[in-house]
Amino acid sequence: MSYYKRLKNDLAQAAAKGLITPEQAAGTWDSAYASRPLASFKAVHWIAAAAGLFIALGFILVAAHNWDKIGAIAKMCAYLLLFAGTAAAALRLQDKPAAAPLEILWFFMPALGIGLYAQIFNLSGDPVKPYLAWAAISAPLAAFSKRPLAAYLVSFLLFAVLFWGTLGSSNMLALTANYGRAAQPLWHWPLALVVLAGGAALYPGQKLGAPLGAAAVWTFFMLAADTAIKVRSEALVLLAGMSLAVLWLSWGRRPDSEKAGLPLTVWTASVYAMTFFWHYKPHAYHGLRGTDTVYGAALTWIIFAGALLTALFRPQRLLPEGREEDLVAKGLLAASVLCAFFLFGATEVHAKALAVTANFILAAFGVGCIMSGARNSDEKLINRGVLVITLTAVTRFVDIFGGLLKSGVAFIITGLAFAALAYFVNRGRKALIESVKK
Amino acid sequence: MNKLKIALGLQLLFFAAWGGWLLSSRNTDSPVFYLETAPVDPRDWLSGTYVALSYAINTPEPCRGLARHDAGLQLYVKLEDKGRTAQTAAGPVKIYEAAACAETPGEGQWAKAYVNFSFRGLFRATYGIERFYLNENNPLKDARSGSVVAKVKLGRANKLVLLDLVAITAP
Repeated sequence: MSYYKRLKNDLAQAAAKGLITPEQAAGTWDSAYASRPLASFKAVHWIAAAAGLFIALGFILVAAHNWDKIGAIAKMCAYLLLFAGTAAAALRLQDKPAAAPLEILWFFMPALGIGLYAQIFNLSGDPVKPYLAWAAISAPLAAFSKRPLAAYLVSFLLFAVLFWGTLGSSNMLALTANYGRAAQPLWHWPLALVVLAGGAALYPGQKLGAPLGAAAVWTFFMLAADTAIKVRSEALVLLAGMSLAVLWLSWGRRPDSEKAGLPLTVWTASVYAMTFFWHYKPHAYHGLRGTDTVYGAALTWIIFAGALLTALFRPQRLLPEGREEDLVAKGLLAASVLCAFFLFGATEVHAKALAVTANFILAAFGVGCIMSGARNSDEKLINRGVLVITLTAVTRFVDIFGGLLKSGVAFIITGLAFAALAYFVNRGRKALIESVKK
Repeated sequence: MNKLKIALGLQLLFFAAWGGWLLSSRNTDSPVFYLETAPVDPRDWLSGTYVALSYAINTPEPCRGLARHDAGLQLYVKLEDKGRTAQTAAGPVKIYEAAACAETPGEGQWAKAYVNFSFRGLFRATYGIERFYLNENNPLKDARSGSVVAKVKLGRANKLVLLDLVAITAP
């Protein structure tokens, strides 16, 4: 059932129950329905749009049939006219809803031109160059348009090209080495960083989370891949990964955000992944080792220092704000980064200590969520805490105990622990309510 | 004036200027010659169906001695007639081959190439003529190695311009 049908039903039911008057229900429905996307489009507009679409398709098919007979200049002039017409229509209808699809078309026009010119003149060369050129030509539209559409599209295009180009080995953005060759030249790096900065700068609004996350993931890929800044020791890779997760969570997640969001999920998943170091065998990973580069090691330590300072001095985003929550969250964030140091020993005992610490961090985070959620009457937070603890517990039972008897006993003990936790949480809530009444 | 209007003007100016440059490069008065080629047919997201062309001059032996760098290098390859010909519907045509390699162009037909050197002495030179776009129904799409030659000329700034793919006929 669509949103508007459901809304109409809900309003009718509310009116039938006497919660609101039938006039209020009708008024609310009219107001909501009138503000839907493309509300100003009447039947005649849709018919006109269909007519335009059919005529355009007809022209395209006729042109395609005669494509080889059309001269280069005619094709280029037709393209320039189409480009100018589309953009002029978008500008003319700037304040109307119809401008949105026209603006999207405007964004794609440079790609159409690059493709057309390549076809007419049989151009070939670097696979990344046309996409970078497209983004560069469309950047002014993204920067000056009143709508965020083009900015989202250009930013997405730049990040997509950044990942595709830098992880490749034979294009102008390539940063990973070909088989048997040294790392890509340093002059590729400024261009990649300009693309990264462009993607982040053009991303619309005050939402830092998405571009920061993309930058963090890209940096991690560059450290892990065979680049000029590669790190090969497990400890440095883990330290970089956890530090980037903490930085993304602390700088990318807004304090007023109700949803857990991707940064929190990534941090939780990273700590969860560390719990599997219980099975770490140092000799098993010799084949993957190599030499850490000086640049990579330096960058990792800088990221680590930034993450630690951020965890200690920036308002935390792990739990809701509060004196106790701040203390717990800062401790957990710092611990999640610092526990990577266990791997510097690279022995099985160190790895087991790392896994145990990660389990404790998850358990403490889960309990913190439940306690804070109970205090703030935040059901979602309580559910998050229960989910984290349950997932950790179930994984450990399956992962470590394996046998039916041991797992069964472990499940019973966990269930009893949950029951005890629920009892204390409820007592805490009652005490809180009583203290407010007094 | 609205900033978006200025942006639109610049975009249109860019495509008009680029189109003019490509047209003038294709119409330079340098001589037309032919290159031996082997096609395969992939598809490009932006431009449609094309045949990917690989040439004998993609591995120009004279450039081997210039492999100083591990990364790519811009070089000039001298192309000249060494006596080979191919039979086409318009009669026999001369096939040009790589004769010399240098960091700056000299007298004759010197084509700009981007050369990538890899391990064990392997290298590949590209000239920007490695794609030929055509209609999906064009029989040239199924051309095999040795069945076509590429008709090219030197454009502006010593860049090779691909003019046509010509089928080889029986002598």
